[in-house]
Amino acid sequence: MAAAALRPVALKKDGDDKLIIEWNDGHRSEYHWTHLRANCPCAGCREEHLQPPDPFRILKPSELAPLKPMRIEPVGYYAYKIVWSDGHDSGLFTLEHLRELCQCPECSKK
Amino acid sequence: MQPHGGPPQKIAMPGVKNVVAVASGKGGVGKSTVATNLALALQSLGRRVGLLDADIYGPSIPIMMGVHEIFDPNTAQFPLDRYGLKLMSMGFLVKPETAMIWRGPMIHKYLTMFLTQINWGDLDYLVIDLPPGTGDAQLTLTQTAPLSGAVIVTTPQDVSLIDARKGLEMFKQVRVPVLGIVENMSYFLGADNKRYEIFGHGGGQKLAKEAGVGFLGEIPIDPRIAECGDQGDPIVHKHPDSPIAKTYLNLATIVSAEIGKVGAAAAELPTLNL
Repeated sequence: MAAAALRPVALKKDGDDKLIIEWNDGHRSEYHWTHLRANCPCAGCREEHLQPPDPFRILKPSELAPLKPMRIEPVGYYAYKIVWSDGHDSGLFTLEHLRELCQCPECSKK
Repeated sequence: MQPHGGPPQKIAMPGVKNVVAVASGKGGVGKSTVATNLALALQSLGRRVGLLDADIYGPSIPIMMGVHEIFDPNTAQFPLDRYGLKLMSMGFLVKPETAMIWRGPMIHKYLTMFLTQINWGDLDYLVIDLPPGTGDAQLTLTQTAPLSGAVIVTTPQDVSLIDARKGLEMFKQVRVPVLGIVENMSYFLGADNKRYEIFGHGGGQKLAKEAGVGFLGEIPIDPRIAECGDQGDPIVHKHPDSPIAKTYLNLATIVSAEIGKVGAAAAELPTLNL
C-alpha cells in the first residue's frame, strides 16, 4: 500500500446539519448528513434505492422524527460507520466512497 | 467492497505493541507453519510474543504446538504458555473431530472474545494465524484488531499466487499495510546439495514486485518441518541451528524492521464526538 494513500486528518461538525472532513491532500470536504444517509452503502439501503418508490409505504414512528446522526465511528483503517437516531448503523462508508460523496462547491460542479 | 453488519469499534490492546496477521488467499500453503515458526523466531530475538489461531473452522496451532488437551473455558487460564509463547486457539475448547458449523456472527463473536477477554499481558508481538481466504475472520480482524501489518504466505505456483493476489487486494482495500510476501516451499535442497524447485521458481518475488510490496524471503521444503509440526515441537524450537530455523530468524528480523517502517501508515483514523 502506498504510504501516501488518501486519508482524513480531521473530522469536524459544521452546525447541526453538516460534516466536514479534512484530507491529507489538503482538500476540505463537506457533507449534509441527509446526503450521507441518502447514500448509505449498506445492502438494505442499496436494495431500497433500486426499487421503484412504494406509494403505499407506511412510515415507522422512528421515521417521523427528524433524522440525526448520533455517532460516527472509525471502522478499521478504511471506513466510517454512522449510527443514526432511528437505530440504523449498518452502512460502512469507505474513505474512497466518502471522498466521492463530497459536496463542497468544487466537487459539486463535477 | 462494502462490507456491512455493524462492527464494533477497534479494540484497544494497550499491552500489545504490534499485531501481525499471517494470511494467504489459498489454504495449504503452510500459513500456520509460518505463523508458528515466525512467532518462535521473534521470541528468540528476545521479544515477548503471543500466537492467536484465528482459524475457527480448522485450527492447526494446537497440534503444531503439542497441546492435545481440551480445556474448560470456565476454569482454564488462557492464554496458554508453550515454549514461552502465549497461545489461544479454538482447538483448546473443542475436540479435534468436532466440526464448527458456524456462520459469520459466531466467528466474529469468538474472535472478538479471543482478542478482548483474554489477558494477553504485555507483548511485543501478537501473531495472528488467519484462516485462508477473504471472509468473516479476515473482516472481523481488519475491522476490530489494531493490526500493524500483514504477512502474505504463498507457494511458488500460479494456483497459489492467484489467491495470494486476492489476499493482497483485501488488505489494500481495508488499508492494512502488507509487510511483505513470504514464499513457502520454495525449493528442496537435495543430498547432492542441488536446489530442486519442485513448485516452480520466483512466483513470490514476481508477486511482490507486481504488488509493490517487499519480498520477505524463501522458505525451503524440509521433511523435518512437517515432522516437527506433527510432533508439536516446531522446527525453530526443536532445531534452532538448522538452516530453516536461520531462515525464520532472518524473516523475523525483516518483519520486525518492516513493522517499524509502516507504523505511521497504520495510524488510526481521526474521530469526532457528535
